Amino acid sequence: MTTVSDIEWESCLLQPAHNPELEHFVRKTLGVTPPVTKYFLLSPWIVRSMVTWDVGQLGLRHVNLELARLVGLVVSQDNSCRYCYAASRALLKIVGYSEGRIRQLEQDLLTTELSTPIKEALEYTRRVSRASPLPSRGDAKRLREIGHSDEMIKELTFLAAVHVYYNRLATLPAVPTDTMERLDQGWMLRLLRPVLAWMMRSKTRDPGPLSPELRSGPYGYLVDAFAGLPIATCIGQAMHEAWQSPVLPRRAKALVFAVIARALGCSLSEHEAVRLLAEQGLAPAVIGDILAHLASPTLDAAEAVIVPFARETIWYRPVQIQRRARAVSSHLSPEQFVELTGIAALANAVCRMSVVLAPQ
Amino acid sequence: MSDLRWVGLAAMALCGAALAAWRRTRRQLTRLQRRLESSAMELQRLQMAFARFAPAQVVDRIAASGVATDAEKRDVTILFADLVGFTVLGEQLDPAVLVTVLNGHFERMSRVVEQHRGHVSKFIGDNLLALFGALDLNPWQANDAVHAALAMHAELEDYNRELAARGLPQLRVGIGIHRGVAVAGIIGSRELVEFTVIGGAVNLAARVERLTRVHDAGILVTRAVRDGLDPRFVLREMPAVPVRGIADRVVTFAVDGFRE
Repeated sequence: MTTVSDIEWESCLLQPAHNPELEHFVRKTLGVTPPVTKYFLLSPWIVRSMVTWDVGQLGLRHVNLELARLVGLVVSQDNSCRYCYAASRALLKIVGYSEGRIRQLEQDLLTTELSTPIKEALEYTRRVSRASPLPSRGDAKRLREIGHSDEMIKELTFLAAVHVYYNRLATLPAVPTDTMERLDQGWMLRLLRPVLAWMMRSKTRDPGPLSPELRSGPYGYLVDAFAGLPIATCIGQAMHEAWQSPVLPRRAKALVFAVIARALGCSLSEHEAVRLLAEQGLAPAVIGDILAHLASPTLDAAEAVIVPFARETIWYRPVQIQRRARAVSSHLSPEQFVELTGIAALANAVCRMSVVLAPQ
Repeated sequence: MSDLRWVGLAAMALCGAALAAWRRTRRQLTRLQRRLESSAMELQRLQMAFARFAPAQVVDRIAASGVATDAEKRDVTILFADLVGFTVLGEQLDPAVLVTVLNGHFERMSRVVEQHRGHVSKFIGDNLLALFGALDLNPWQANDAVHAALAMHAELEDYNRELAARGLPQLRVGIGIHRGVAVAGIIGSRELVEFTVIGGAVNLAARVERLTRVHDAGILVTRAVRDGLDPRFVLREMPAVPVRGIADRVVTFAVDGFRE
């Protein structure tokens, strides 16, 4: 069992930034500004994805909000993300969970008095998050047997991926945890709970239709796999903006996606990344060489640092990956480092989402 | 009037009894809760203690499914590291000093293995068995294992300096590495279990480690390892030699370094 105090955490690698327009968007949409936001303001697409992928905004049709929040706790605990772990605890308290009940959930989900469908759903999301190995569709069979629909399994898979994304966003640059931990443990939360609950009430937005543009861009096949659910548009928008951002070249982003897909054994995601790299003019033999050894004379200085780092973002101890991230950040501009964090987090999430397309 | 008084007294008595029962139940509940919390803490302490003997994922797996869990065939890279001439050293040194020297060596080597994404499966006397790719999928396991072997030699040089300063004899390590399919799983009895690998690939790796004495090489790898290696590793082909239990002569490659 992991507790917050067990998790070693480095000092933050990022400086808080300002972007009044973006900050207003966050406040207006979420009701509050999560403390993590200010560290990512250099990268608008990351901040927008943090907002549109917020569990309360997603417009989940088959997973209720309570289960969605429990997924957050389970995945954050499993990924040892100190920030998200404290945030998940605080959120559960805001929605009415007692400290004792949360502690019980943390100690062992399998022995708590949760119903079997909820336990099974949480166990599934934990397997998706761990990805050791990535679950096959057979893993979802048990969920179907106990009555969960295919749409619910898709939403659960996406929720696990979303938290994998948030965990990496917070862990890689060692986002400060003190504000969240004070909120979780302090008297303020008890006092302000009703107000916070009202401010953070689910305000599901209609994300709009899934446009052909979102279905045909990089990883469009994955966006398509979620078609029919409101989350498909949320995935498509984040993906589209991430690939359009000019901060890191498209080739560097595709390399990150390819390495993470190779490490996780996600052939679909690797195939798409290799296609994108070929579009950038890399020969198949060169791509093969890079993926076989995480190095190649064809890589530029930034890529030579980014490629081996991508691999480290999959399974890690927070303090170790944070030290590696610090070394990598010294080779990049602050904007590039923030975007690299987002791309690595997104690539990890994409491989987890690909579980819904795994062969039967 | 007197009837009413009796009814009132009876109601008060009932209330008192109910209150006493409620208090008793609450006390019992608190006691049970404390016992539950203390059991949970004890379990956590045990898990932490167990984590010293097995990787966290293995502990989780045993906690979730017990000892009789699934074993599976995995593509793994197996590294054996043996201290050369340790038996003679054992005869020269005081047992307490010997154990201290050996523990210091294992401590350092285990750290290096972990830093290179491997895990130490077991210590067999003065021999260490490390696995790469056994717990999580690792397409770069051969590179990781050979980088780990080079780092182990560098670490041993450092340890030897420390031993020399204490007036203790120097250590020398021979490392053999092979990659192949092995059965990986939690193996043992109810009293003693370990996560390890078994099969022909493991035996060959052990034999290759023995060949380091024949070829006078610090690190030897098989062709299966060489095929997956980064070309920047500096390798020297060794002559094929017969190996017990293997039909064909075994070709190995000495690892002389890595060109940055």
